[in-house]
Amino acid sequence: MDILMEGKNLRKNYSTGEVEIEVLKGIDFQIFSGEFIVILGQSGSGKTTLLNIIGGMTQASIGELYYKEQPLHEIDDQQLTLYRRNEVGFVFQNYNLMPNLTVYENVRLVAEIAENPLSVLDILREVGLENWKDHFPAQLSGGQQQRVAIARAIVKNPELLLCDEPTGALDIQTGIQVLKALQKLNLNYHKTVIIITHNVEIAKMANRVFYLKDGLLDDVKVIEKPLCPEEITW
Amino acid sequence: MVMLRRKAIRDIKENFGVYLACIIVIAIGLLLYTSMSIAVESMDKAQQEFYTETNFADGFITVTGYPENKVNSLTLLPGIDQVTGRIVKEVRIIDQEKNSNKYLKMVTLNKSNATQINQIKLIEGQLPRENQPEILVDPKFLEVNHLSIGDSIDLSIDGNQVPLYITGTGQSPEFIYIMRNAQDLYPSAEEFGIAYISLDTLKVLVKEKGQVNDIVFTLEEGVSFDSVKDNLQAELKPYGFRSIVPRKDQTSHSILTSEIKQIRTTTKTLPVVFLGVAAIILYTMLRRLIEQQRVSIGTLKAFGFTDLEIVLHYLSYPMVIGTTGGLLGGLSGIALSFPLTTMYRNFFALPGLKSEFSFKYLFISLALALVFSVLSGIKGSLDILRLEPAQAMRPPAPGTARKTLIEKFSWFWQSLSSQAQMGIRDVFRTPTRSVFNVVGIAVVYSLMTVSWSMQNMTDLLTVVQLEQVQTYDVKLQLSEPSPTGATKYAVAHDPGVSRVEPILEVPASLRNGWLKKEVALMGLAEGSRLYNILDKNGLRLEVPDHGILLSEHLAKSLNVSVGDIIYVESSLRRETISQKGENLLVTGVVPQYVGLNAFMKDTELQHFLRQGEISTAMLIKMDPAEVGAMKSKYQNASNVSSIESRKDTGAKIEKMMESFGFTVWLLAILGGICGFALIYNSSIISLSERKRELASLRVLGMTPREVLRVITSEQWTLYAFGVLLGIPMAFVLSMSMAQSMSNDMYSLPADLPPMALLGAAVGTAFSVLVAQSRAYYKIKSLPYVEILATRD
Ligand SMILES: Nc1ncnc2c1ncn2[C@@H]1O[C@H](COP(=O)(O)OP(=O)(O)OP(=O)(O)O)[C@@H](O)[C@H]1O
Ligand SMILES: [Mg+2]
Repeated sequence: MDILMEGKNLRKNYSTGEVEIEVLKGIDFQIFSGEFIVILGQSGSGKTTLLNIIGGMTQASIGELYYKEQPLHEIDDQQLTLYRRNEVGFVFQNYNLMPNLTVYENVRLVAEIAENPLSVLDILREVGLENWKDHFPAQLSGGQQQRVAIARAIVKNPELLLCDEPTGALDIQTGIQVLKALQKLNLNYHKTVIIITHNVEIAKMANRVFYLKDGLLDDVKVIEKPLCPEEITW
Repeated sequence: MVMLRRKAIRDIKENFGVYLACIIVIAIGLLLYTSMSIAVESMDKAQQEFYTETNFADGFITVTGYPENKVNSLTLLPGIDQVTGRIVKEVRIIDQEKNSNKYLKMVTLNKSNATQINQIKLIEGQLPRENQPEILVDPKFLEVNHLSIGDSIDLSIDGNQVPLYITGTGQSPEFIYIMRNAQDLYPSAEEFGIAYISLDTLKVLVKEKGQVNDIVFTLEEGVSFDSVKDNLQAELKPYGFRSIVPRKDQTSHSILTSEIKQIRTTTKTLPVVFLGVAAIILYTMLRRLIEQQRVSIGTLKAFGFTDLEIVLHYLSYPMVIGTTGGLLGGLSGIALSFPLTTMYRNFFALPGLKSEFSFKYLFISLALALVFSVLSGIKGSLDILRLEPAQAMRPPAPGTARKTLIEKFSWFWQSLSSQAQMGIRDVFRTPTRSVFNVVGIAVVYSLMTVSWSMQNMTDLLTVVQLEQVQTYDVKLQLSEPSPTGATKYAVAHDPGVSRVEPILEVPASLRNGWLKKEVALMGLAEGSRLYNILDKNGLRLEVPDHGILLSEHLAKSLNVSVGDIIYVESSLRRETISQKGENLLVTGVVPQYVGLNAFMKDTELQHFLRQGEISTAMLIKMDPAEVGAMKSKYQNASNVSSIESRKDTGAKIEKMMESFGFTVWLLAILGGICGFALIYNSSIISLSERKRELASLRVLGMTPREVLRVITSEQWTLYAFGVLLGIPMAFVLSMSMAQSMSNDMYSLPADLPPMALLGAAVGTAFSVLVAQSRAYYKIKSLPYVEILATRD
C-alpha cells in the first residue's frame, strides 16, 4: 500500500498569556492510502489538534508532515488552502454550520468549490436528511446538525476525510447509518478516513487505531478483521 | 458562489434596519455634496460664460460729467482696451399708490449693443430703439411687478414725468445680484430694478447734455487694474471724478463670487461630516458582522475557500451599502440641485444658471461611496483573515477580565442595577467602538447645537439691529451731500418729527499694505441716538473724537487692530497737492452684524474730507402715523433719493434671515437622522453580540423592558461622553460656521448660548430614545429559546 501521509516528530505549542503549553509532544505516524483509522484518547489529549494539523487547519510548531510526498510543513498559506480545498473533507466537533443557510445550501456551499463534487441530494439521502433539506440549522436537533456536517464533508468527494467525533450526538441507528456512509466511501471509492471518537466500539471498524495520551502516540493497534457498522453496537 | 451570495442577502435582510440607516447617512452626505457641487459648478460656469459672452468690464468709474465725445480717447491710455461711456441714473417710478417707493436704475446702451462693454443679453422682446421712449427691464422686475412687454411706466427723470414703453427684458453681467445699495442686503425686485435705454433717448431727457456719468472699461491682456488706475483718475479729475472700482470689488460680482466661494467651502466640509458619521456606523457595523462571523470565516477557510473569495464575500456587504447609498445620494442630489439652482436664480440673475442631470456627479458620488465603504470593509475584515482556520473557529480569547476603571468607584458602582453594570462594563470592554460612537454622538450633538444657536443668532441679530442699532423710524437719503443745517431744520419742522440726526456716509477705500477694502465710512454726530454703535457687551459706545472705528469683520479682512494705522481715501475728499488720502489711527474695533462699515465722528470726517458741515442722510424719530405723509412729501423732491422706514428695513433683514432658517433646520434634522442611525446601529450591535446573554435574561424571567436596560445604560454612558466631547466641538464648529457665513453684508456673531447647548442635548437625547424604542421591539421579538438551542 502507498503511504498517503507521513508525520515526523510533530509538536504543537500554544502560548496562553505567560504559560506555554505543549499539546503535541512529538508524534510520528504513517497513514496509507485507503485506510480507515480511528483515533482514541482522553479528553484534552490532543486529538483535535492532531487532526487539525493533518487537515491543514493549522501547522505544527515543529516537525515534518508529508502528504503524497509533498511537505505540508513547508508550504505557504495559499498552497495550504488549496490542499484543504482539493484534498480534505472535515467534520468539526461542533458542526460549524452556516446559521442562515439551509441544510441543502450548507452542503451546496462546499460543493461549489469542489473539483468533482458528489450530488448534494444523494448525500443528503445517504445521511437521512432529504426531508429536511430546506430547514435552517437552528430548526434541527443536534444529531441532525451533525449529519449535515458529515454530508458537507462527504460532498466534496475528498481524498482524505477527517471526522472529529462524527457520531457523538447520534443514537445507535443514525450513528450506524452515518458510519455506513463513511465506510462506503472508504471501501467503494478508496478514500482515506480518519475518525476521532470516544466510542471504543467504533474503533472495531478501523484498520488501525491510534491511541493518543498526553500529546504522545501511546500505541497503534492493527485490526485484522474490521467489523461492518451493522455488527457493532453501543 | 451562489450560496455565499445567498448568505450575504440573508445577513443583510436580518439586520436590514442597520444597513438602511447606514445607507441613509451616506446618502445624506452625498446628497449635500452632489446638489451643492452641481449648483456651484453651474453657477461658476454660468458666470464665466456670461462674462465672456457679454464682454464684462474690468473697471467701473463714476464721474459727475465727462464729455461723451472724449470717451473714446480714453482707450489711448496705456493698458486700456475698450471703453464705454454711459449715463446711469436712478429714477423713481411714478405710481398710483401714494407712498410707493419704487426705483429703476437707468443704464444707457450704445448704438450697437454688440460692440460695447457689458452687453445686454436680450431675454425676451426687442432692444429699445434710438430716440424712442422705450426701455428694456430686468426680467425679475417685470415679473414681480406684474408688468408685461408693451406696458408703459411713468418715470420721474430730473423733475419731468416721462412715460416709457417696455420693449422686452434683458440681463447684464453688471447686475446679476441686483441691489440698490450695499445697505439693502437683499435683492428686492418689487422696489428696485434695472432698465436699459438707448443713450440717444436718455441724453435728451437729463439735464447734463452731452455728458456721461459712468464709464466702464476693459484692460488689455495681462495689464493689471492698479497700473491704469492712477492715469484714469488723473484724466478724470477735472470732470468730477467720484470713484473707480476694479471688477473684483464691483458689488454684484463680489457678492456672486463670494457666494460661490462660500458654497464651495461648505461643499467640502459639510458632506464630510456626514460621511464621517457614516464611516463610523459602517465600520463598527462591519467590524461587528465580521467578529460575529468569526466561526463562519474559520469554517470557510477550513473548507478551502481562498482568502480572496472570503474577502470578496465580506466586501459584498459594504459594496451593497456603497452602491445603494451612492446611487441614492447621487440621484437625490441631482434632483435637489434643481430646486437649489432655482433658489439661487431668485438671488442671481444669471441666464445660464440651471441644473441638469449630471452623470459626472452620479459617478463621483457612487465612486466616493464605494471607495469609502470598501475601505471600511477591508479595514474590518483583514484581522480575522490573518488567523489560521483552527484558530478562527475557536471563540476569541476573552479580553483580560480586569475590572474596568469605573468599577473602582465602588460606591457608585454598587448603586447601579446589574443591568446597568453589564451595559457600562461593555462600554469599557470595547474601547475602539465606544470611542467611535462617542465621537459620532459628539458630531451629531455639535451639529444640533450649531443649528440651534444659529437660529438664536439670527433672531438676536434682527432684534439688535432694529432695536438697538438703527433706532430711527425713517431714514431720508439725500441725493447729494448737502449742508446739514438747512435740511435738518426743514425736516425737524415736519409733522410728527421728534428728533432729527444728520449722518454722513461716504464711499471710502481703506488700506493696510496691500490689503484693501471699499466701504461706506459713516460719520456720526456727538451723542447720536438714532444710530448706535454697540460694544461686545451690547452697550452703546460714543465714537471717539479722533481716529476711526472699524467693524470686526472689516478689521479682520484688513488685518488691523486697535492702535494700528490705516490709509484712508475718499472720492468726496477735496484734494490738495497730491494728497489723496490720510493715515488714520484705528481707535476701536466694534462688532457689527449688518453691513460693513467704518465709523468716525462727523466733525472729524468732515475735516478729513476738507468739507464744511455736510451730511448725506437724515435719521428721523417720528410718530409712525405720519410716516406715510412724510414719504409722499419727499418722494418727488429732487434732493431726496430715497426714504426708508424702519419697517422696510426690518422686513428686509427678516427676509434675509429666513433664507438661513431653512438651512439651519435642515441641518438639525439631518443631524438628528445621523444620531438616530448611529445609536440604532449601536443597539443592534449590542443586541446581536449579546443575543445569548440577553436571551438567558429573558429565560430567567426578565421583561423585555428590563433587558433593554442593559443596552440603554450602555448608550446613555456613550451619550454622556458624547455630549461632553460635543461641547468644545460645538464651539469650534459654530465659530467656523459663523465665519464662513459672514460676508461683507452681514456678519454672524459666534456665540453659543446655554439654551443651544441644552436644546441640542435634548435633541440628541430624543434621537437616542427613538433608536432605543426600535431596539425594544427587537428585544420583544427575540426568539430566545431558539437562540439558546443553537450552538455557535
Ligand atoms: N488554540 C489553542 N490555544 C490554547 N490551547 C489550546 C488551543 N487548542 C487546543 N488547546 C489545548 O490543547 C489541549 C488539547 O486540545 P484538543 O482540542 O486537541 O483535545 P482533544 O483531545 O480533542 O479533546 P476532546 O476530546 O475534549 O475534544 C487542550 O488542553 C486545549 O486546552
Ligand atoms: Mg477534540
